[in-house]
Amino acid sequence: MARVRRIETPGELPEAEAIRLAQAGNAAAFERLYRLHNRRVYSLCLRMVGNTAEAEDLTQEAFLQLFRKIATFRGESAFSTWLHRLAVNVVLMRLRKKSATESSLDEMTEPDEESGGPRRDFGMPDLRLSGSIDRVNLQRAVDQLPPGYKAVFVLHDVQGYEHNEIAEIMDCSIGNSKSQLHKARMRLRELLHESLRDKAREDRKAAGNAGGED
Amino acid sequence: MATVTCRDFQGRFESSDDSPRNDSPDLSIQAHLRDCPSCRNFIEDLGKIRAVGAQLAASDPEPPARIWFSLRAELEKEGLIRDTPSKSPSKSWVGELFSGRFSVLPRPVLAGGYLAALLAIAFGLSGPINSRINRKRWLDGNQSSMEPLSAQLMSAEKASFSSPPASETPVTASLHQNLEIVDNYISLCENSVREEPENELAREYLYEAYQQKADLLAQLNER
Repeated sequence: MARVRRIETPGELPEAEAIRLAQAGNAAAFERLYRLHNRRVYSLCLRMVGNTAEAEDLTQEAFLQLFRKIATFRGESAFSTWLHRLAVNVVLMRLRKKSATESSLDEMTEPDEESGGPRRDFGMPDLRLSGSIDRVNLQRAVDQLPPGYKAVFVLHDVQGYEHNEIAEIMDCSIGNSKSQLHKARMRLRELLHESLRDKAREDRKAAGNAGGED
Repeated sequence: MATVTCRDFQGRFESSDDSPRNDSPDLSIQAHLRDCPSCRNFIEDLGKIRAVGAQLAASDPEPPARIWFSLRAELEKEGLIRDTPSKSPSKSWVGELFSGRFSVLPRPVLAGGYLAALLAIAFGLSGPINSRINRKRWLDGNQSSMEPLSAQLMSAEKASFSSPPASETPVTASLHQNLEIVDNYISLCENSVREEPENELAREYLYEAYQQKADLLAQLNER
């Protein structure tokens, strides 16, 4: 999936120039960099925490950390990758602080079954999902993913990053990024199946109640 | 040809390929897919999840303007912005914002209409603010015409804080903090409008700042 990149219109400061000027403390350059990337960073934060007030706070924190360190940016990686790496770290740190126990990044991306890892029920009777997946119920399922899975899924399937970029953002191997994405999709499938089963159960119950009233 | 189990089949996608396909060139896979409705569903489901996931980006919300106001204030506080100050302190960055290159901004009438609508929603159509706003006159008017709007927002703010304060949650604390930042921004914008009363863009920025404040007050009122 091709990632949608913002098109610079004539007269707008190019990103490289904005970075150079921001390194010198130029206010307009800071604003330009913010405007170029704010939407994707805000969206990432919002999808990760599911709360607008917190997403705003995290977006501000990610950009603040970026601008504090901008003088050290030497262009070894893409600017947006660097920014997303900061943003993901800010979000994961916040989620880690929120959880009662300290958990490592590995635990956030490799949860056990009880904490949300995908189960493998081979040979189980299948409900077909196709047709029942829409943006609303997929987002609801994404909200329930463990943070590490969620980050990889949002970066790859929603924002269109490639595995090599995600590996850089998440500080993991490309193979690990692929594996996490696969597990995230498997878990999503499971969550969507669960919600489908719940709905079918409710429908049966409602039908039973209606029948009883007749 | 080796027999492929469901476990083998689904396990193959874990590290080798991120996009399951039902047209795999592997004959053992093809044979398994032909005989296994469960794995066919598996492929279909994962493809659908991927497709709908891509659609989620289309509904990405626009980040609110207050994030930049707040970030900007923090950058200034920490001394990360090191622009040479201009002669008039109020024109340092606000003046820059009001230069002609931002001519793509919404027309004053649209900006005013948006504010009036927002205020109407925020404080109720019969509320004291909306009934006294004449946005057209305000945007076209003279220097003193911003005062009624500013005063109305101030009285709305007083009304917001007149009720006994509930226990402050992190969200309300953050809203109060943002309100402080927007207030600072408003005072910078007001200075610019005073200095250049004919500058339409300066007035638009002030209008946007008032809109931000109305939005924050409405959020505080809801809590």
